[in-house]
Amino acid sequence: MGGAKFTPGSVDWRAVLKENSRKTLSVMVTFVLIYTALGVMTDITIALGLYPQLTIKQAFQLLLQLQIFPYATLSMFVVALIALLITIKLHDKIMLMGTDYFEVTPETARDIDEKQLYNVVEEMKVSAGLRFMPRIYLIEANYMNALASGFSEKSAMVAITRGLMTKLNRAELQAVMAHELSHVRHQDIKLTLMVGVLSNLMLMVVDILFYNAIFGQNQNSDGGRGNPLTMIIILLRYGLPLVTVLLMLYLSRTREYMADMGAVELMRDNESLAKALLKIQEDHECHVDEYHEEYGRTRHEEFRNAAYIFEPSSFDPVKSIMTLLSTHPSVEDRLKAMGCHIEHSSD
Amino acid sequence: MKMLAWIAGVILLMGMYVVTIYNKLIGLIEAINNNKKQIDIQLDRRFKVFQSLIEVVKKYMDYEQTTLKDVVALRGQAQAAQSSGDEAGRMAAENGISKIATGLNLVFEQYPDLKANQNVMQLQEEIVNTENKLTFAKQSFNDSIERFNATKKSFFESLIVSFFTSKLDKSFEYWGFSSEQETKDKENYSVKL
Repeated sequence: MGGAKFTPGSVDWRAVLKENSRKTLSVMVTFVLIYTALGVMTDITIALGLYPQLTIKQAFQLLLQLQIFPYATLSMFVVALIALLITIKLHDKIMLMGTDYFEVTPETARDIDEKQLYNVVEEMKVSAGLRFMPRIYLIEANYMNALASGFSEKSAMVAITRGLMTKLNRAELQAVMAHELSHVRHQDIKLTLMVGVLSNLMLMVVDILFYNAIFGQNQNSDGGRGNPLTMIIILLRYGLPLVTVLLMLYLSRTREYMADMGAVELMRDNESLAKALLKIQEDHECHVDEYHEEYGRTRHEEFRNAAYIFEPSSFDPVKSIMTLLSTHPSVEDRLKAMGCHIEHSSD
Repeated sequence: MKMLAWIAGVILLMGMYVVTIYNKLIGLIEAINNNKKQIDIQLDRRFKVFQSLIEVVKKYMDYEQTTLKDVVALRGQAQAAQSSGDEAGRMAAENGISKIATGLNLVFEQYPDLKANQNVMQLQEEIVNTENKLTFAKQSFNDSIERFNATKKSFFESLIVSFFTSKLDKSFEYWGFSSEQETKDKENYSVKL
């Protein structure tokens, strides 16, 4: 185990928050643009099928002038909206699926640790000026992790494992809960779900276009000219999934940095969160096999992976090679963004 | 005719912009008022918690009588200052109670068998919780003042503020230590044990 020297520092959290909200905005704009472009492409394909004498350029111009009504684009947006509403409605039910959990309230707190857990969250609620108190769940597990979901009075919740609650001191526990509460404040769940729904729908549309282009072309190969967009559709069919995944991961990491900064904003202290993250990482390194087995035993772990404060797979040797494909920045990068530094020494 | 339509459109847009800024500033002012009430709520809660805390601690330690008297006296001072509109005096008195809270927690540290006592541990948690809530409520209040001041002083907004001075040109005092002498008093305060 390499010893690490930890140096606390200071950070301009206002600037980091601003920078990351800008990044979020650019990701969201990109997503909506791609989605719209796809809709327009579908409309052009339909128009070309109806009026074979048109060129792509003419079809595009007619669409812009609304002389051909963009039914596909519009219906894609309506479908996206409906799908999004349904996912948001159902989402808070699946977050704790498969775990053994317990809701902590001032009345149900069984010992001083649980009381303290409730207290630190309530303090952060005061600090954030939040109008509602999120529900707090304690997950009976030894590994150290925490997660948040929801954004409104009805759906907001934060959850923490017993391992995390007992191994951190009060300030560190508070920092972790501040991070989770910041996910709630920043409405990250809404963003993640929106991006998820949009990218799934996109891939579905591309699939339909793809099969249509391939098989549609075969049928009228005798005389008709195929869809001139076929080349682009084939490229999209294989390229778009990669693009959406990379965009989603970029967004997810941006939101993690923002939640870290949100925690610093609420506590006016970056050291507690930094120390908590280091503790979680070290603890995971010490108990790799044990925790791996425990995570493995818990069902539906995949729903929670991106929501955790610490990504369980990042201590998995195989997956950690693919840091490019991780939903969270590395702990080292997160500490650096918080203005703290760790130096690894050889012993 | 077309010119007129353009002018009307521009005026409409400008009007909408002004209304948006006006509403935003009103929202920020109300947030400050609400956050200030939050501090009052937390101060009130703290006084009640302290009263019951000291009642409990009395069973273990006999010297708490003076501390209770101090807390009650300071709270009285604070309320008198509040009703006479003396914000600085009020803050000073309430900050004095915070000092006593820190002192109480230090007392617990000095008695090992007391420290291990479940009830005392709960009391300590209660004190920390109470003080933290108060601190964070103040922080939230100061943050809302910061947001309002920054918006009020920035360009365009400042123009609109000068149009509606009576409604928008409010000034709020940050919650904190107000004068050097008071800071000194606080540094010198000690819990009588």
